[in-house]
Amino acid sequence: MSKLPTDGPTVMQGPAEDAGILHLGDFNGERYGVVIAHESHNHPSQVVPFEGAATGVGGIVRDVLCMGAEVIAIADPLRFGRVEDPQSHQRYVAQGAVDGISAYGNAIGVPNIAGDVYFDAGFNENCLVNVVALGLVKENEIIHSAAPAGSAGWDIVLVGKATDASGFGGAAFSSVALDEAQAEANKAAVQVPDPFLKNVIMRATYRVFEYLRGRKITAGFKDLGAGGIMGCTAELCASGGFGAIVDLDDVNTAVDGLLPEVIAVGETQERLCWILPGEQTAEVLHIYNEEFSLPEIARGARATVIGAVQPEKRYVLRHGAEVVMDVPIDLLTAAVRCEPPVRPMSERKGEPSRRYIEDGHAIDDLFPNVLRHRDVASREPIYVRYDGVVRGTTVIPRGYADAGVIAPIVGSTLGVALSVAGNPRYGLIDSHLAAQHAVLDAVRKVAAVGARALGLTDCLNFGDPGDIEQYSEFAHAIEGLAIAANHLRVPFVSGNVSLYNASRRGHAVPASPIVACVGALDDIASAVTMGFKQAGSALYLLGVMQNAMGGAVAAELLGRTGGPLPSIDYAQVNVDLAMLRGLVAAGSILAAHAVNDGGIAAAVAQMVFAGESGIGAEIEIDGIEGLFGEGCGLVIEAKSDLAMNGRLTRLGRTIADPEIVVGKTRFTAPDLRRLWSEPLAEVYP
Amino acid sequence: MSARVAVLVFPGTNSEIETWRICRDVGLDADIVHWSDAAMLPRYDGYVLPGGFAYEDRIRAGAVPAHDPMMDYVIEAAESGKLVLGVCNGAQILLEAGLLPGTGNVRRPTAAFTKNGPVPKFVCKHVHIKLAIEPQRCAITAALPRDALIPAWAAHGEGRLAASAEHLAEIEEGGHLAFVYAHADGRVDSAAVPNASALGCAGLTNKSGNILAIMPHPERDAWNYNHPQRREKGSILAPSGGSRLFEAFAAALKSP
Repeated sequence: MSKLPTDGPTVMQGPAEDAGILHLGDFNGERYGVVIAHESHNHPSQVVPFEGAATGVGGIVRDVLCMGAEVIAIADPLRFGRVEDPQSHQRYVAQGAVDGISAYGNAIGVPNIAGDVYFDAGFNENCLVNVVALGLVKENEIIHSAAPAGSAGWDIVLVGKATDASGFGGAAFSSVALDEAQAEANKAAVQVPDPFLKNVIMRATYRVFEYLRGRKITAGFKDLGAGGIMGCTAELCASGGFGAIVDLDDVNTAVDGLLPEVIAVGETQERLCWILPGEQTAEVLHIYNEEFSLPEIARGARATVIGAVQPEKRYVLRHGAEVVMDVPIDLLTAAVRCEPPVRPMSERKGEPSRRYIEDGHAIDDLFPNVLRHRDVASREPIYVRYDGVVRGTTVIPRGYADAGVIAPIVGSTLGVALSVAGNPRYGLIDSHLAAQHAVLDAVRKVAAVGARALGLTDCLNFGDPGDIEQYSEFAHAIEGLAIAANHLRVPFVSGNVSLYNASRRGHAVPASPIVACVGALDDIASAVTMGFKQAGSALYLLGVMQNAMGGAVAAELLGRTGGPLPSIDYAQVNVDLAMLRGLVAAGSILAAHAVNDGGIAAAVAQMVFAGESGIGAEIEIDGIEGLFGEGCGLVIEAKSDLAMNGRLTRLGRTIADPEIVVGKTRFTAPDLRRLWSEPLAEVYP
Repeated sequence: MSARVAVLVFPGTNSEIETWRICRDVGLDADIVHWSDAAMLPRYDGYVLPGGFAYEDRIRAGAVPAHDPMMDYVIEAAESGKLVLGVCNGAQILLEAGLLPGTGNVRRPTAAFTKNGPVPKFVCKHVHIKLAIEPQRCAITAALPRDALIPAWAAHGEGRLAASAEHLAEIEEGGHLAFVYAHADGRVDSAAVPNASALGCAGLTNKSGNILAIMPHPERDAWNYNHPQRREKGSILAPSGGSRLFEAFAAALKSP
């Protein structure tokens, strides 16, 4: 994070704790923040996809909750292997992970409002299951993951599921290359999710927030993730400048006879930890254990005192009559620094593209094939499994626009937009530019719904840092993120790194810097969707077409590999985004959609599919590069004709027939829609 | 004075906030009542069982919460003629409690909302439900126009009405089929049904017409801002669309 811009007027809290916080806006005299966190659960999902993906959702939700926030939305960027073979492990992973996200997210009652999925053979042995969560918190009610000032002697209270042997060694497991021979042993390192218990713990915790706020009590709060009880309590106490004593005998366990090291660092799910002044402990325990009856909800679950904050900066674990650990607390929490060597960035990989049009490819075949390409086809068969509307706050659910939008503050017109991006076809060619495109695409998607970008978060999914090539891709991607975020003036407020996404045979995943962007709308009434609204509107590209087909879906279909990625002119992009904000404010935009996978032709088709029935479009531009080049801007449907300038190119118009006309060819929109809808429906029936 | 309504929370319920909000926004005096406060239930004029996964959908959605002590109060209130509305998981609970269609005995269900078909998976889709009875057949729908069409979100894994042929016949002949799935233009056919529900059923009422269960969630398409491509007149924060069902519920509760 030290290499990324992390400050700016929208930052309420930078990347110091479990999640960052961005200033959404003010309502009724209160400053509201959006909490954002981003994580991966890649290794577990490859081994046991249902549980792995489900616990990914569970973990990120706790990261947001422990900032004192209400959890308001989740999103899932997914990267799977090639799933055409119904018998393949990749298909099992791709199906199981979606089922796991569905089962967990739906049960806890948090809407899933954004996400993406890409399929590439580079993910056959290492899927990527990232998850983003958002929370809402008033600035003066943020809770920190640290023992508060003057808290020596306060209680350490463990809340949640009874500790068992599941997830023992989970963090270490996440950091090894996966070996099929060890598949069974790896399964024991995966945590077991319980969304039912989590649902109740979340609601009980909201009640505890209310109780503590009513009494103006500052407490410390943190979720248990990697490193279990020891990792969590040590970080809580060390970051407040204290030490801790924890009695492992006081931990509620699911079975007797667990070894002290299993109790101390096992990663049993659905647990949180409070630092509370002793006189408040009884009431907090009452809320969890009596009012929300945790012990009756799940066997052995409860809130219980397991230790105390100590003035002396040592970390002491007791088990039976013995002290089983007594070390300086900073020893457990200090960062390990290591800077492996990095190869200098080579020249852009691949040959410059020839003009594709010279090859005489007919778009009659190419256009339908682009729409049915695995990275372009409709994602509805996946997101229909996720509850996108629970809480009643959803303004734009998935499928209607590039970003999801919610109205999280009851009574306020403030809206929150959320998008994700990160194209692995780009990552295979050039991680430095792929990272920049990930930031740009995420920001454009938020702009497409009429929101202004507040901040970013990332999950950097890469291979083995011990391999100089794989580590260099990682290092170059971070530089790319910094360049894009600096130029677009959008800060990163949280992030996550997932390394060792490689098989023992040394195959790393495509470079995958995955970025999420949070945006704000002052008035949700101005939110823009991507479906065409009426016939006879003018269509424009806001941006500039380039002769750069590297990583494009159409290039792959035409058998081209490599080739330079589209370059980015940040000064112009900033003008484009400003112009878009102006046009949205003026009410001049009827629909908008970022151009990415499949290019302008696919974008226009998707705007037809999402639009009013019976409305089609005529695309007046031609050439393979023009129709199918990617990453070049946004397609907008304008209410009335706009004056053309260097950044605004007329693309065509909407028509009153259900057709998509490209050059001289008329395609029937329902036929194209069927082609576009089928590929993933076959994998996700 | 507005009628008092309890929005019940079982362990695993997840839709209590928006259900409470829409009740409040249509003029009801609504409280969220948790399972540990079950003893407070008798004081209310009406009851709403919201969506979620009460008791983790163990055995079958609604089967375990139907035996929660809170349901003793709801059953007693329903038998005394008070109004009870169940949405999604709330609907499943009312069927499992035997209150709907009400052709058998209490806690002896004759029909259930069970695993979706043809694919037994959770589905989240925007739908419309159409009133399939005379409005006054059920007190909760009495204020709706005939053939009322209400937008809602189906969001469930177990929403397919299943019953024996004999019990399905009872449902049809007894006028229990309160709502069916429909297209946005009001047409009714199997393509509008998201879960292969028998009779295209989206909602049921009982013989006395004081209990209504619907599977899709009108409270998730209940404010102007909830309709991404269909803005209605008035403030973006104003109730509209799915709120009409709750307005009808409120009207029935207020009538003398």
